[in-house]
Amino acid sequence: MRGCSSFAVVRLLRLGALLGAFGLLGLVVPRQLPAADDDELNAAQEQAMKAAVRKVAPCVVQIETTGGTELISGGRIRKGVGPTTGLIVSSDGYIISSAFNFANRPSAVHVSVPGRPTREVARIVATDTTRMLTLLKIAATGLPVPVAAPKSSMQVGQWALALGRTLDPNVEHPPSVSVGIISALGRIWGKAIQTDAKVSPVNYGGPLIDIRGRVLGVLVPASPQGQDETAGVEWYDSGIGFAIPLEDINAVLPRLKEGKDLKRGLLGITPRSGDLYSAPPVVGTVAPDSAAAKAGIQPGDVIIEVDGQPVTRHAQLLHLLGGKYEGDVISLKVRRGKEEIKFDNLVLSGTVKVMAHGFLGVLPVRDDPELGEEVRYVFPKSPADKAGLKPGDRIMKIGPDAKQLRPFSGRDELTGLLNTLSPGAKLKVEVIRKDGKKTETLDVVLDQVPDVVPDALPERASAQKALAPRKRGGPKLPAIDKKERPEPPGKDDKNEEAKEENKAAKKPEIGLRKRSSPSQDREYWLYVPENYDPNISHALVVWLHPAGRFGQKPEDILDLWSEACQQHHLILLGPKSENETGWTASESEAVLQAVQEVLGQYTIDRQRIVAHGMGVGGQLAFYLGFHARDLIRGVATTAAVLTSQPKDNILHQRLSFFIVAGQKDPLVKEIADSKAKLVERKFPVIYREIPDKGHEYLDGTTLKELIRWIDSLDRQ
Amino acid sequence: MPLTGFSRFSVFWLALLTPSWVWAQQPFSGVTESVNKRMVKLFGSGGYARLANYGTGILVSPEGHILTVASHLLDTPELRVHLYDGRRYDARVLVVEPQLDAALLKINNLEGEVPYFDVAKAAQAPLAQPGDWVLAFSNQFRIATRDEPMSVQRGVIAAYSKLHGRRGIFEAPYTGEVYVVDAITNNPGAAGGALTTRKGELLGVLGKELRNTLSDTWMNYAVPIQALATFVEEGMAGRYKPKEKPKVVAEGGAYHGIILVPDVVERTPPFIEDVIPGSPAAKAGLKPDDLIVYIDGERVGSIKTFQNMMATFKPGTTVQMEVQRVIDRQTKTEKLITVKLELAEPVAKTPPRK
Repeated sequence: MRGCSSFAVVRLLRLGALLGAFGLLGLVVPRQLPAADDDELNAAQEQAMKAAVRKVAPCVVQIETTGGTELISGGRIRKGVGPTTGLIVSSDGYIISSAFNFANRPSAVHVSVPGRPTREVARIVATDTTRMLTLLKIAATGLPVPVAAPKSSMQVGQWALALGRTLDPNVEHPPSVSVGIISALGRIWGKAIQTDAKVSPVNYGGPLIDIRGRVLGVLVPASPQGQDETAGVEWYDSGIGFAIPLEDINAVLPRLKEGKDLKRGLLGITPRSGDLYSAPPVVGTVAPDSAAAKAGIQPGDVIIEVDGQPVTRHAQLLHLLGGKYEGDVISLKVRRGKEEIKFDNLVLSGTVKVMAHGFLGVLPVRDDPELGEEVRYVFPKSPADKAGLKPGDRIMKIGPDAKQLRPFSGRDELTGLLNTLSPGAKLKVEVIRKDGKKTETLDVVLDQVPDVVPDALPERASAQKALAPRKRGGPKLPAIDKKERPEPPGKDDKNEEAKEENKAAKKPEIGLRKRSSPSQDREYWLYVPENYDPNISHALVVWLHPAGRFGQKPEDILDLWSEACQQHHLILLGPKSENETGWTASESEAVLQAVQEVLGQYTIDRQRIVAHGMGVGGQLAFYLGFHARDLIRGVATTAAVLTSQPKDNILHQRLSFFIVAGQKDPLVKEIADSKAKLVERKFPVIYREIPDKGHEYLDGTTLKELIRWIDSLDRQ
Repeated sequence: MPLTGFSRFSVFWLALLTPSWVWAQQPFSGVTESVNKRMVKLFGSGGYARLANYGTGILVSPEGHILTVASHLLDTPELRVHLYDGRRYDARVLVVEPQLDAALLKINNLEGEVPYFDVAKAAQAPLAQPGDWVLAFSNQFRIATRDEPMSVQRGVIAAYSKLHGRRGIFEAPYTGEVYVVDAITNNPGAAGGALTTRKGELLGVLGKELRNTLSDTWMNYAVPIQALATFVEEGMAGRYKPKEKPKVVAEGGAYHGIILVPDVVERTPPFIEDVIPGSPAAKAGLKPDDLIVYIDGERVGSIKTFQNMMATFKPGTTVQMEVQRVIDRQTKTEKLITVKLELAEPVAKTPPRK
């Protein structure tokens, strides 16, 4: 608490005489502190906090809106009806607030300024979509402007007070206050201060202030993963809150005042490794027309400097680039082979093209601890087929050229390597032939993931050694020594192996089980086939029932699925919606909790976790696909329309879709449109229309195809 | 500030290691002990469908009167009370006031006297102010039984304001002003707990779990003791009569002459489509395309709210209306205009169209 103690010396000279020697000078006086003086200290701090609030209060305005939607963020969050908060940033009527407060697109905005008798009509000037701030303008002059605390003076541990105008309708009263400290600096890729004061819709848009009454920052919901204006709201009042430093806001104010929305500046590369924290920043892909592509940066380049600052991990790169805007200019230094190349004047762009996954055309044999990967199946006419790869061959190494061939250990690692490659990428593949055990190197050019499901797949899908420790070979590779996160979620790690052994030791329950979640208030059922073997990784299908009668009872689905569960090693999970009428997006958390529980108890193939739903259940399946991307790899829907705007394909988090509509379903056109929307975002999509079916579940043929699709979801 | 449980001696040694820590120490331990003695753990009905079968209460007389919230917990003949010293008793409900969301209980066959909060005295103190440091005591999550102490939380008064519980889902029974606290105090079983000053003086009673419609967040609040003093005093004397629920006046008859745009979405903004000539609205100077923003200072926000608000006014009432109007079409300058609207007797069921 250094920040507060230095303050205390200023403010509490009287107590300082008593305590100064004790605390700051390091002279420890071996005597007890009288309780009365403790009280005095508390009282003085309390008074100092109130004084700080009073100092800033005239700059904290109340914002009210008219119209707008009730629900925001795809129906996930209900927008409160109360007033929100803003902070005056210039005396001529500019007010900054959190973009969250306008996420429901209101038709009119009004501002009440303390000390002014009338409310003012406010205009939304511009939104900063990277720091999630909105600038408003009212017709007023002579407004009080707060003092910004310098970023250089901020210290973790110093007092931080969060102020808001939601609770009390009267702006002449002091704003609401929550007291905490600065928990961390440079959060959300360098953009935010973190505080443990309670931050929520009650004070989003309000200031976070220090104990001297200077503004540290403006409170916003934020999350290192999410990017829209509501990301991070789920953390409200949790003790994890964020504020954008006022100094940074003041710096960008002239640009916002011009009335143009500010976007995050993008370089246009993805990392080769999914591990942001321990792997070096090797460029995996370069988006066409991006700043990186224009400069001539190539896949395989290792980024060693950004704006003159050295970087050794991808996360550092994100920190340095996180706060940049579209149009900002940066310089980069990369290592290409033995050469170091400097790129100056890279102009960051606001959007980059979404990229699709490259497709080799093989299915792997799963659960094989040996080095490399055995080919289970070769997709006809795929790059692998054209290059002459055959089932039973063992892929041992891949690389961009003969000199850079890289060994790997098993399916998940190969998927991780392929994740960074787009269609058109040229690749060398070293294989040991099934016949003759000869080693050969093949040339392939990756293709698009096809929209077909193989008619028949070889029975042998697993080497049945899922619990065996994975073998390692070849040179030590930093990217795979540590547990990769979030993808690929292999069983490479020691802990993972120990956990697997535990799973084997405890006899798992098989058959149909009814369960309730740990918090006791949610029910779900689970079907584990009688032939369950922990040495075989099982696909997990999460069945999300529609509204109405069909599908709520496990029998409805098991009658159709149980045979396939035995034959193809599937586990079925059936959560139950809270209301008969269907699901709400907020229930996704309970569903995911159930998935996590099953993951902890059975050998589940992380590459084949599928959300499967019908009607409203299908809509939840779409939602889960986009919002639990570290977990869900496939979304299979029937009679469900994709209602929200889909997100983009992410190379490190594969996601495939299998969409079914009945031709007589009144929604068939909208369902077909869902396919187009997803293909536009570069997702692999299978779309089937069933003749003579209405708003119904799958017919036998399509169901069989779906099961083969699930079996082939780890295609590469 | 985790030093509460440490002895002075250990504080001394900590001081040697990290001198600046001394500043952080907070002498709340004596206070917590004294408050704890005046609190009880309650066990009653519940235990299903997210309803806790445990709760918290405050001793308000030496004879064992207990102040707590009105809840499902009390719907049982077997209400159990655990005192601070581990003694267990049965208790009975004396009186419940739904409008205050409060209940008064009494311990059956109490032996001797117990420490208690003097509610009448506490109610004479001035209201706490935003920014005041407070402590909250409760048996949230049933962490304590028998002689185990309550959980103590530290926070500040965030605001003193009205409760806005989300209607239809969790309607707030108590509609007066409450202390909103910046600590997460209102958890399962916490209702009926005590909010005190940092010196342990009773400020209020922790409420139930409630979502705030203003922000759509869970609220942490306590009902001020001033609002409960009469209930406690008269309840202990056996004189208290629960209040009649006031009837909601929804006459909806007063005539204004405003025709709004069709109400098509969830929160359709109340734009005026037309004003009937000669109507109160026309006399007040309202015009088509005006957006109704405030009525008597209250934000309107949507057509639905507009209709709800107007339904409460009787003919003859004058309401102050603030509308947003474009005052310069070229520069698109908009301003808030305040008008006085004198509502009239309804003229006909369907007002004539222009």
